Amino acid sequence: MKTGKIMFYIIGVIFLVSVSGYFMLGNSEVSKDDYNDESGEFQKVVIGMKGFNYYPNTITVKEGIPVRIYLDESVVGCLRSFTIPEFGVAKYLKTQEDYVEFTPNKKGTFKFACSMNMGTGTLIVE
Amino acid sequence: MSFKKFSSYVSEEENLVRAIFVSLLSSFIILAFFYFLILKNIIDFIPNYGFFLFFAILSYAFIIPSIKHIRIYGEFACMSGMIIGMTIGMISGFLGGFYVGSTNGMFWGSVFGMSVGMFFGISNGKCCGIMGIIEGVLAGFMGGLMGGMTALMLLNDNLKYMAVIVFFISVLTLSGLNYMIYKETREIKDKRRENDFFTIFWSVLLTTITVWFMVFGPRSVLFQ
Repeated sequence: MKTGKIMFYIIGVIFLVSVSGYFMLGNSEVSKDDYNDESGEFQKVVIGMKGFNYYPNTITVKEGIPVRIYLDESVVGCLRSFTIPEFGVAKYLKTQEDYVEFTPNKKGTFKFACSMNMGTGTLIVE
Repeated sequence: MSFKKFSSYVSEEENLVRAIFVSLLSSFIILAFFYFLILKNIIDFIPNYGFFLFFAILSYAFIIPSIKHIRIYGEFACMSGMIIGMTIGMISGFLGGFYVGSTNGMFWGSVFGMSVGMFFGISNGKCCGIMGIIEGVLAGFMGGLMGGMTALMLLNDNLKYMAVIVFFISVLTLSGLNYMIYKETREIKDKRRENDFFTIFWSVLLTTITVWFMVFGPRSVLFQ
């Protein structure tokens, strides 16, 4: 009798895990908005990785025109978490199609870095 | 351990298997309730949170029965109490911190993990006095912090595989703890009677808090 009960519970656990796993683990792809190049004028910057740092690690952009920064496939690890504190930019760029967009509204030299400050670079706004 | 010994252990601890079943059932029922009530309107709820929520619920289904198991016997020797406080504090803190950290970032994952870990560490370690309490606090603190930190550092490096690995290691550790409790207390005749309320209450509460935290809770700037 006791063995029967235990078997019931074990089968119940397996059943619950299987059914919930089917629903919760089934679709792991996040839907993405279509990438659209026609959304207006912007400055496109693609950054790679060399010597465990961003490459190029100095980028120059024009003031007042929106900037989109992409990270190519060479960028791995925490460097994919891209931040520019001065412009409130902080985003995890999972794929090469992901980007950060901001409008540099002041001239100067600013720092960009990964979230853990292990990769750094300079953004010059002219 | 031979299969015969293992079978005798499982049949002695029927309540443990039952509690895992009850915990899973109550967690998934409350999750289904929330899903049809509100979560189905959240865009990409399953792809974003389903995996980590699934493993969080599985983790609670092993942690809560172990805590119930400890409550049934109540008092332990100092050495046992310390390992109980440390194991429960560390595992509950680490797993909670890891899964919430994967969706909300290191700070909030660590805060969640430390809160859960220290609470359970203290409440289980107190069975053997101040030493067990300190052990529970330290384990919860360390586990929670490590869980959140590990999740963030693995963000772009097989985070989901690691989520599965840490889950299985934790289950193995908790199984060892339950077997230790069984071995040390099988001579005790006056076990405290515990019904399913404890299991249901904590499963529902932890699942609700985790869902709320992951979906609506505060998150680090990288996860916004």
